Amino acid sequence: MMELIECKNLCKNYKDKSALKDVNVTFEKGKIYGLIGRNGAGKTTLLSIMSAQNPASGGSITVDGEAVWENPNALKKICFSRELNVSQTSSNGLGAMKVKEYLKIASIYYPLWDKDMAKKLVNEFELDVNKKMGALSKGMLSMVTIVVALASKAPYTFLDEPVAGLDVIMREYFYKLLVEEYSETGRTFIISTHIIEEASPMFEEVVMIKNGTLILKENTEELIASAFHVNGKAEDVDAATEGLSKYHEEIIGRSKGVTVFLKNGEKIKEGYDVTVQPVNLQQIFVALCGMGA
Amino acid sequence: MNEILTQEKSIYIQISEMIENDILRDIILEEERVPSTNELAKLYSINPATAAKGINILVDTGILYKKRGIGMFVSKGAKKKIMETRKEQFFDNYIKTLLSEAESLGITKEELIKMIEEKDN
Repeated sequence: MMELIECKNLCKNYKDKSALKDVNVTFEKGKIYGLIGRNGAGKTTLLSIMSAQNPASGGSITVDGEAVWENPNALKKICFSRELNVSQTSSNGLGAMKVKEYLKIASIYYPLWDKDMAKKLVNEFELDVNKKMGALSKGMLSMVTIVVALASKAPYTFLDEPVAGLDVIMREYFYKLLVEEYSETGRTFIISTHIIEEASPMFEEVVMIKNGTLILKENTEELIASAFHVNGKAEDVDAATEGLSKYHEEIIGRSKGVTVFLKNGEKIKEGYDVTVQPVNLQQIFVALCGMGA
Repeated sequence: MNEILTQEKSIYIQISEMIENDILRDIILEEERVPSTNELAKLYSINPATAAKGINILVDTGILYKKRGIGMFVSKGAKKKIMETRKEQFFDNYIKTLLSEAESLGITKEELIKMIEEKDN
């Protein structure tokens, strides 16, 4: 049996809004996945359904072949360390809870909890465990979610916006911690982030969702290697990119810029006076999900 | 292995070029061990699979070889081999771009040659 998380025809409706539409996706064991999409695209909904914190309106989710819903055996393999918000923490009583109490609950909930690791991370992050959750800054709340995610030792770990509110030093430190943990354990990580460029070198595969629909799941390096920005005089750009899949066309005067994706053996036609540049994952995301895309 | 990653090229290619650069500059010597996939992944916060891909290019071209259970090592003659390969690519990588830029600026071949000859004066 393949070890993976499999979502089949996943749908989620909130009243009249459709948050996920017929999502079919698999996450194989032992990879770091980047989950990207705009605000409201359905990232958090997908992660919460995959970890059975939220019921699906339709479709199925299995972990290593077992359904996750109301199945403790499957759920003990999964940790979804949710993004914590101050408003959230104060409204549902979490705000009054001390950091150490929150971590204590996590240690009971996650069967593979690594107490020493949690302690070490709390020290390195200089988190005051006697502080109330409601008194933490956004960055400190992110640190708490990172401690829970890493110390859970869950074979499948989801992190939702783990670096929100963290300064660049802490973000880079988190990336190092994650790569270290991954190389030592081979745990599967699914990470949603808006800071795409910083995190993209860690992602073996990238999963992109747009308006509740899965639009792409590819090996990150291969995706980046297949995409180019072409610009020059509009007619030259049109001629050089004829027949290719084009996105995000921008025109200024006589000049045109366009992002192209080259599939199996396709090439940008030579002999035209155009500039061809490589693009990064963030630019690919903007081309596919940006305004007007 | 202390170069900074850029966005101009695939990361695995940059990893293999960095190791080559270190060999060319005698920062890593022949028969010495190169950093492991995990060490590289941690240093650059990149996926270990990407680091491995960069290392494997160098194994395929004979620049590195594997000592079972110990790690990757620089082959004998690796430096010479890298220089030869880079010389072969020199025309495509440098001369072509130079000529194309010179052409769009209206610099003649004679002027170019003069610049090169006068460079050290």
